[in-house]
Amino acid sequence: MESETNDNISITSQLHLNNSTNANDRVDSYGFEMPEGYESYEKMMAEYVAVLTRRSIKWSKLLQGKVHVEKNLKVKRYVRKGVPNEHRAQIWMAASGAQEQLEKNPGYYHSLLGTEQQHDAKLEETVRIDMHRTFPENVQFRNSSEPCLQKALYNVLLAYGHHNQAVGYCQGMNFIAGYLIIITKDEEKSFWLMDSLLGRILSDYYSPAMLGLKTDQEVLGELVRVKAPAVWQAMAQHNVMWTLVVSRWFICLYIDVLPVETVLRIWDCLFYEGSKILFRVALTLILHHQAEILQARSMVEVCERFKRITQGAFTYDCHTFMQEIFREPGSLSMATITKLRETCREHIVAEMSRLRP
Amino acid sequence: MSETYDFLFKFLVIGNAGTGKSCLLHQFIEKRFKDDSNHTIGVEFGSKIINVVNKYVKLQIWDTAGQERFRSVTRSYYRGAAGALLVYDITSRETYNALTNWLTDARMLASQNIVIILCGNKKDLDADREVTFLEASRFAQENELMFLETSALTGENVEEAFVQCARKILNKIESELDPERMGSGIQYGDAALRQLRSPRRGQAESAQECGC
Repeated sequence: MESETNDNISITSQLHLNNSTNANDRVDSYGFEMPEGYESYEKMMAEYVAVLTRRSIKWSKLLQGKVHVEKNLKVKRYVRKGVPNEHRAQIWMAASGAQEQLEKNPGYYHSLLGTEQQHDAKLEETVRIDMHRTFPENVQFRNSSEPCLQKALYNVLLAYGHHNQAVGYCQGMNFIAGYLIIITKDEEKSFWLMDSLLGRILSDYYSPAMLGLKTDQEVLGELVRVKAPAVWQAMAQHNVMWTLVVSRWFICLYIDVLPVETVLRIWDCLFYEGSKILFRVALTLILHHQAEILQARSMVEVCERFKRITQGAFTYDCHTFMQEIFREPGSLSMATITKLRETCREHIVAEMSRLRP
Repeated sequence: MSETYDFLFKFLVIGNAGTGKSCLLHQFIEKRFKDDSNHTIGVEFGSKIINVVNKYVKLQIWDTAGQERFRSVTRSYYRGAAGALLVYDITSRETYNALTNWLTDARMLASQNIVIILCGNKKDLDADREVTFLEASRFAQENELMFLETSALTGENVEEAFVQCARKILNKIESELDPERMGSGIQYGDAALRQLRSPRRGQAESAQECGC
């Protein structure tokens, strides 16, 4: 794989789903094999298609062939109602600032993979270990697939690791890059979207100390303490640390936690509005399933329930779910989050220096 | 489903990324090799009841992410583990060299009496071997670990690894270890209920669930 990093850049702009894979009705339009219970997915999609068509017409009218999208209340409303897949790459690129970066830095991505770049062997090895363990349930990522997206995935992760050496490669980034490649069908765009996510939208989730991740886990705990005190109490009673139940949610930005279509809708808002959306999703899942969580009688049962509440009709029905996340948790100001992040981060840093002076 | 057992042990599976920790767990619980899964992020659970020296023991197994930087997150799961599988890949010297670090963490953060079995996994890939059996068994001896070479692919020694570890803990309970001490990683099951059941059951298959 490593010998192929330089010569495949040109094909990436034309990556598309093999028609033969669409013939398999157990595979969704992104190449993922349907999990158990895919009937509820099909049922949801049958109704969702009407929504998509309606949104698609509205978006086409809004964009009218424009590349640059300005940010205003109307666009924000549109984003919350879902970006049609054909416009997704463009909207994500524009809203996150990735498009601007790409235009300002022509050739930069390719230079990171080029021969002038001193390649980090350790980084290459770490990335390579995860190639066959990234979406094996997606036909586009299989070795037998042509083109096989593992190659694009490897390139984007390697380039990013060279670009941001403080972060390098952290597990979880492979899933994120994988989704970006599926949606943009383009390595360079995926790279710049990674850059806006990791560099600007998320606060330090993937660097070796993972301080931003640890902080946000505790911030969620504090929000639950206020918005669902009974759950907070149950967590304390059973001695469940937040990291045990939500680290996957945050690290993977809900990939492999929630259904694909729902994740993409969340990401629409993530790119447009920022990381606050991650808390809205978590709070909604918890608030909506309070009774179920409270039935748990042990730490393991709590963990199992936190797994279960991400599945089923409630999360499959992405359109209703997205309405819920802006309703159910109530108001959630950025000022509150910022303040909580500050205090939680202080606690964590103090705790870390206490343990390792 | 029957959920009666004499003891419950908390087990950890630790070791570098890509050594086959989740595959070992899956092979142990489902008796199948599974390598078409995403790698583990954070922690996953599995559990299984086994019969060891006439006792039913429920193993509650915590399977952890192996990448270095996740250690600062997964370390918080170590507390109160009674046993651990410490896994390296016999075809990767690097995963073997990391063992000391894993061991330090486990001894420092889990129960004082934690019983650890060293597993040299991917035994089936002997042609690519980078770590000899002798070398690893010496390391195990020096560090008071049990040791087996395992294959999550063929299943060789997988059940043995879990059972041997559990057996050693049971022995310790008989001699020195007090399960009721805080953080021992051991709980009593409802043995009284078990008495009502027929005394003989199929070995190691009374209840299975897998969280992976």
